[in-house]
Amino acid sequence: MLFNSLSFIIFLVIVLILYYSKIFNWTNQKRMLLLASYLFYAMWNPPLVILLWISTIVDYTAGKKLAVLENQRQRKFWLLLSLFVNLGFLAFFKYGDFLLENFVMGLNAIGMDFKAQPMDIILPMGISFYTFQTMSYTIDMYKRKIEPARTFLDFALYVTFFPQLVAGPIVRAKELITQFYEEKKATTEQFLWGTFLLTIGLFQKIVLADTLLAGTSDDVFGSGSILHGLDAWTGTLAFSGQIFFDFAGYSTCAIGIALMLGIILPDNFRYPYAAIGFSDLWRRWHISLSTWLRDYLYIPLGGNRHGITRMYAALMITMLLGGLWHGAAWTFVIWGALHGIYLVAERLLRNRIHIKITTWNGILVALLTYFCVNVTWVFFRAREFSTAWNMLGSMFGLNEGEKILQTFDILKVFTVILILFICHWLMRNTSMKAVALKTSPVVLGVVWAVLFVLICIAQGSGEQFIYFQF
Amino acid sequence: MTNMQLKTSFSIALIISAIALVSWELYWRSQGYEPTLDDNKHLWAVERAKVDELLADDVVITGSSRVLFDIQLDEFEKLTGKRPIQLASAGSSPLPIFHDLVEHTDFDGTIIVGVTPALFFSTTFPQASPWQRPQTRVDHFHQRTYANRVNHWLSIPLQKNLVMMSGHEEDADENIDLKGLLNRIKLTERTGKPQYPPFFEFGTIDLDRNVRMTARTVEDTAFANVIKNAWKFILTRGGPSPDVEGTTNFFVADAKKFTERGGNLILVRPPSSGMFKDGESKFFPREKLYDELVRKTGAKSYHYEDYEELKNMICPEWSHLSAEDADIFTRVIAREMIKDKALKKTN
Repeated sequence: MLFNSLSFIIFLVIVLILYYSKIFNWTNQKRMLLLASYLFYAMWNPPLVILLWISTIVDYTAGKKLAVLENQRQRKFWLLLSLFVNLGFLAFFKYGDFLLENFVMGLNAIGMDFKAQPMDIILPMGISFYTFQTMSYTIDMYKRKIEPARTFLDFALYVTFFPQLVAGPIVRAKELITQFYEEKKATTEQFLWGTFLLTIGLFQKIVLADTLLAGTSDDVFGSGSILHGLDAWTGTLAFSGQIFFDFAGYSTCAIGIALMLGIILPDNFRYPYAAIGFSDLWRRWHISLSTWLRDYLYIPLGGNRHGITRMYAALMITMLLGGLWHGAAWTFVIWGALHGIYLVAERLLRNRIHIKITTWNGILVALLTYFCVNVTWVFFRAREFSTAWNMLGSMFGLNEGEKILQTFDILKVFTVILILFICHWLMRNTSMKAVALKTSPVVLGVVWAVLFVLICIAQGSGEQFIYFQF
Repeated sequence: MTNMQLKTSFSIALIISAIALVSWELYWRSQGYEPTLDDNKHLWAVERAKVDELLADDVVITGSSRVLFDIQLDEFEKLTGKRPIQLASAGSSPLPIFHDLVEHTDFDGTIIVGVTPALFFSTTFPQASPWQRPQTRVDHFHQRTYANRVNHWLSIPLQKNLVMMSGHEEDADENIDLKGLLNRIKLTERTGKPQYPPFFEFGTIDLDRNVRMTARTVEDTAFANVIKNAWKFILTRGGPSPDVEGTTNFFVADAKKFTERGGNLILVRPPSSGMFKDGESKFFPREKLYDELVRKTGAKSYHYEDYEELKNMICPEWSHLSAEDADIFTRVIAREMIKDKALKKTN
């Protein structure tokens, strides 16, 4: 089920009525939320709920064992079992075809004539998100960082909680499970702020991503032609805005919906396009994934504890795997590699050049960061390397290409992106809540109405969120 | 957060939104817009799903927009006692949908295939528009989720009652959603390519996909000329040559498979006029293409030129019949089908 759909509106209204009616005690309310979450997922593909159940049962059992076992070998067994099941699901469902394809290419490269039928495996929606979430639970249990979930119901709801089930934020057990232990009801202010966040999120998705930017991005990346530089830049900028509004929109909706239920989810985006450098970018973009990768990959790989070379290697491996997390294609690996190179280069430069960041040079560095990020988006969006190289060739003036965009499309994209950048810059050290607190309720009401009316006028054809495929 | 006075903000937002949306709806109604259903992939998939429940004496129609406009389901049902399932798709080659019916159903009743020569004999290339459009619908039917079905079901009352919710799946110049309105803004032209002239919907569709031409298309010649201009653009802009051999072979193979399992195939060639008729006579001569197709498939055939009542019919915008003429066309071909015992009866 998509947040930007009629069925979800009905679903949410029913869930809220049941949640706030006095017919259930807290345990039964949690059961209702769990059933609703399964229904939310099953409306897409019912049999794949089984994967959620397996993941839930295995990790709950592993967590319980890890809480009581003292024998290190036995503890390691339960940890490995959890990792094997979760990573096994990912390997089979997400990377099965990719692995097979590369295996065949490898054999062909050494002269063996081998062909294999693609397995055409369906990719379960949100599998990368919920497997990472449940793995964090067993790893934290193994490291004795957290207490086990008190009940199976609490754990199952942690794995399946519908607002963040399919596209995050990837929430840690200590942040979410503990909230299920005691009855939660949103205050009126929380409920209304959650509704406002839901409106903001839908506006980002339906109006900004789908209506204003997606068409231009699709036209450019799907043209199959070598393009004029302006068209290539417009398409890439459009995609940079589209993916931000799409994903940040989903996260904002998720946070808002959870808040309407009295549950607090962490921020996932903090105005990333105003980032000054790449370390700053990854503290602002998909925060729940970048902190997950930091805690469960970069630090176990050694982090910065074993010298500079090992640190850079850990950084590169983390970013390469982070790229692969996004999709089973080499273009995503290159996207990750570029971010890894940027981070390494930034650390190298930081040791040699010391600049005091002011407003003006900060804007310049932020623009430079955004420019470099756009180069990486080309690999992220292009389905094939040939498309990516053609796009980059056009963007850097190496191609005399075809003009496919109309003047208004270009103007539209540049206007949206300029406003996006200015907003991110102005908001980089504050939050929406802080700004709302300073805003008069009348102005906030008018803004709210404008956003809502534009959502209704845009209609939206229920386009899927981009991150569902990851 | 207690200082935010969100109740006030929420109340203001609610009042302004209500006023703005009611005004928006009334404004577009005052401009002559009426709520209409969209002939989208969801509506198509609902009809396609019915095929799996059909019996051997049932009838399915597929083809391009001509057979969608020209065979009227009510008239057909009155005469034959059977209400066909309408699966024709505008701007489409009938081949992908017929292929899906042959390959992915056990249906062994009657399939009426409408032949619009320029589309039927166009291509078998999957990325070409006449193939991709119907294939998208077929793919959607096979991949649609329960959420898709519920969303469609919930959208029907909104589409039927609100102008602002009755946009079209494809970009059309009368779309009043935000994207459609932005698409109307034209600044300087920079691509150097000829731009598609304005195009508007000229039919209305029912829940079971029965399409009737609007009275405006018949009565308002200026409006009909806008549609004719769009056809003229398509006919004169050039493009890939028709793949007569490839399309014929593809269809004949599917037709053979369908008839071998007991299916009953009927080909129908609806009328055209004006520039369309001239172009079709010149580039798609009946004897070489249509008659050859009938011969190769062994299908029963109903060509409008063979019937006195039909051969001089005028299409208001050169390609589709007015609602009244579509009723006549349907009555004539249904009568002939009954006379020929062309439709399957189980008992």
